[in-house]
Amino acid sequence: MVSEFLDAYRNRHELAEGWKKEGRKICGFFCNYVPEEIISAAGAIPVRIRGGTENVEIADAHLPTFCCSYIRSVLDLALRGRYSYLDGVVFPKSCDMTRVLPGIWKRNVLTPFQYMLPVPGKDTDEAVGFLTYELDRFREALAAEFGGDVGDEALRKSIKTYNENRALVGDVYKLALSNAPPLSGSDMFGILMSGQIMPKEQHNVMLRKLLDNPPAPQGGSNGKVRLMIVGNTFETADLLLVMEECGAQVVIDDVDTGTRYYETLVDESLDPLRGLAVRYLRKTPCPCKHPTERRLERILALASEYRVKGVVLLNQKYCDSHLYDRPWIESKLKENGLQVLFVEHSDIGWVGGKFKTMVEAFMEMVG
Amino acid sequence: MEGKAPEKTESQAKAPRLSSSAALGPMNEQYYQDLANAKETGTPVFWITSMAPIELVSAFDGIAFLPENYAALCSSRKVAPEFIDAGVSLGYAAGICSYALNCFGSMHLGKGAFGDAGPPAPDILLATEGACITHPKWWEALQRHYNCPLVIVDAPYTVDSDTLSDHQKRYLAAELERAAHEIAGYTGKKFDMDKLREVVALSDRTSELWDEIDAMRAVVPTPVSQIDVFTLQFPLVTLKGTKPAAEFYGPVVEEVRQRVENGVGFLQNERFRLMWDLFPVFHNLRLFNYFADLGAAFVSDLYGNAFSGRLDASDPFGGMAARYLSFFMRSSSMGKAVIYKERAKRYKVDGMVFHANRCCRCFSAEQPEVGQILRQELGIPSMVFEADMVDVRAYDDEQVKARIDAFIELLEAKKYPK
Repeated sequence: MVSEFLDAYRNRHELAEGWKKEGRKICGFFCNYVPEEIISAAGAIPVRIRGGTENVEIADAHLPTFCCSYIRSVLDLALRGRYSYLDGVVFPKSCDMTRVLPGIWKRNVLTPFQYMLPVPGKDTDEAVGFLTYELDRFREALAAEFGGDVGDEALRKSIKTYNENRALVGDVYKLALSNAPPLSGSDMFGILMSGQIMPKEQHNVMLRKLLDNPPAPQGGSNGKVRLMIVGNTFETADLLLVMEECGAQVVIDDVDTGTRYYETLVDESLDPLRGLAVRYLRKTPCPCKHPTERRLERILALASEYRVKGVVLLNQKYCDSHLYDRPWIESKLKENGLQVLFVEHSDIGWVGGKFKTMVEAFMEMVG
Repeated sequence: MEGKAPEKTESQAKAPRLSSSAALGPMNEQYYQDLANAKETGTPVFWITSMAPIELVSAFDGIAFLPENYAALCSSRKVAPEFIDAGVSLGYAAGICSYALNCFGSMHLGKGAFGDAGPPAPDILLATEGACITHPKWWEALQRHYNCPLVIVDAPYTVDSDTLSDHQKRYLAAELERAAHEIAGYTGKKFDMDKLREVVALSDRTSELWDEIDAMRAVVPTPVSQIDVFTLQFPLVTLKGTKPAAEFYGPVVEEVRQRVENGVGFLQNERFRLMWDLFPVFHNLRLFNYFADLGAAFVSDLYGNAFSGRLDASDPFGGMAARYLSFFMRSSSMGKAVIYKERAKRYKVDGMVFHANRCCRCFSAEQPEVGQILRQELGIPSMVFEADMVDVRAYDDEQVKARIDAFIELLEAKKYPK
């Protein structure tokens, strides 16, 4: 049953193509700063744009090799036509590469509807006001493009579905509080990633089914060393499987596609657009937003709550926002008695490479 | 492409450096002396990012220190590699902005560009994310090190100045005003709107003069060298908003105008006119002489222009908001291509040179696309070479020159077919 999630994620392009054949509109988005609730209310299916694990070739002519491996991979897939099913694509203002990509995308990928959402860098009241205004413009643009009813009632309904999803995923996370978590880190990867490429209603059904009959926790401890991963994103469960082979279990994360995507509900008592602005600006910030301290506090709190012994700092190659925080985060984790393994990667060669050797050495320190 | 290097001839003699630039020496000296004495004189030291509202510094009688500019200085004085290595030893990745690594390393070692102890510690850190995310990330790290106030000015994203909306301008104007009040709180100095208006007017005048020089570069033959242009930037970058900066450029404009009126070009026999994108190679500005010896003069670059921007002094915060939101480095590759296309025509450009600055990903990432646009829409060829603006070790002189030779050959065949 758990494998259904990962299967869905692996088949995400085929799934999207299927929905498209059924007459649904598909709208891609980047990062976790696009309020998908609005896209969904407009009647389109929001799908997170992800890269792949293949070597980048075509994108070389458009983006230098020293640019972030994720953006290069995404562009490569798009240039190969892998994202030709998209009816729309939304770029939030988040990191520098996400700012550069729209110009290249517009000229070469030719998605019918392309939108750049200005998201403030701060979380002040003024920033919330600014984003609320921008979200209203976004709502109008989506309504014009997809023709759905994006009125307040439709938004409230969509927000409710998203909040349910966040709460359900939160419940799944909590299963790992047990000494012998019933789900592995790689199972969790499938659950988290699949939720970002399918309608939330459908994900909620799958999550409820899982939570109604959760795999039983094994008695006592499972002997695995509890770890946390902190960083940006990755495309495959391979690295988690390698870690599991080495006797580790990832029980919690602070990654762009994990807790930072799923945590913090929208306050349903607020005006919907304002509620969304508050949620997206005041959730745990990604490193491209300020202030950064809240993220560190959250990492330390989760590490403690989930009783982890070590942290793997996973940094996609050339992801500058994360790289600036690294020495600080690493030193704070160590001050808090946590062992740290830093891994800079381009999401290729997890299996059979030096990654396993690094994890084995790390396990000796942590275990 | 096979063949020997294009020949260098006597006719490619270069005009001397602008005599008006001689005033830069004493100005530079005075600046570093003022900086060194700042703590004694009670002058607040602001460490600011490029594209931060430097006008606020003078409005509070402070002195601006730009670690980026300082890294360029460290690079030209050949001390940057040691600082960069020290930065890396602190846990920062070797591939991040070498300005930042130079800064972290200098800070950690307590060493400066002149064999001294480096710049005075900041009293206030002022950053904006208007140019790149690196800036606030770097300034956050500085704040943790120096434990002093950090003021971040949040600049909303705009695709280009055409799509700039009033609400975006209002947000930035409010950010700037809030920053001014925060600085007043930190410095204990009263914020004075009239003073800011004066500073903004001086800043505007400095930019106006800079833009005049920039416009005269369009004349054939182009009157000033790229080395002169990059060297002349110091007051524009570091002292903008002060009287000396505004006064410095008056004689420069006059001298350049004289050259134009007398038909004096930087190159007596200007054979090719090129545009430069974007960062100087600070450890090797002489590279421009290599182009010059092959008959190629640079007539436009946008690096200096990034620091220039007209301001409406009657509405200082609104004027600054409009200026800092519409400068070209904020636009996506399409916006930048529009500017280059317009310049290519106005400056009668034969070719484009891209410095793919490995450590500045956001401003190098769009180069392949911009190059394609120029080629496809205007038939303008381009060359790309990889380097690092500060770190000489990421630069292969022989390889770069071989590329330049090949590029000039290509331009020769196109412009002067036999």
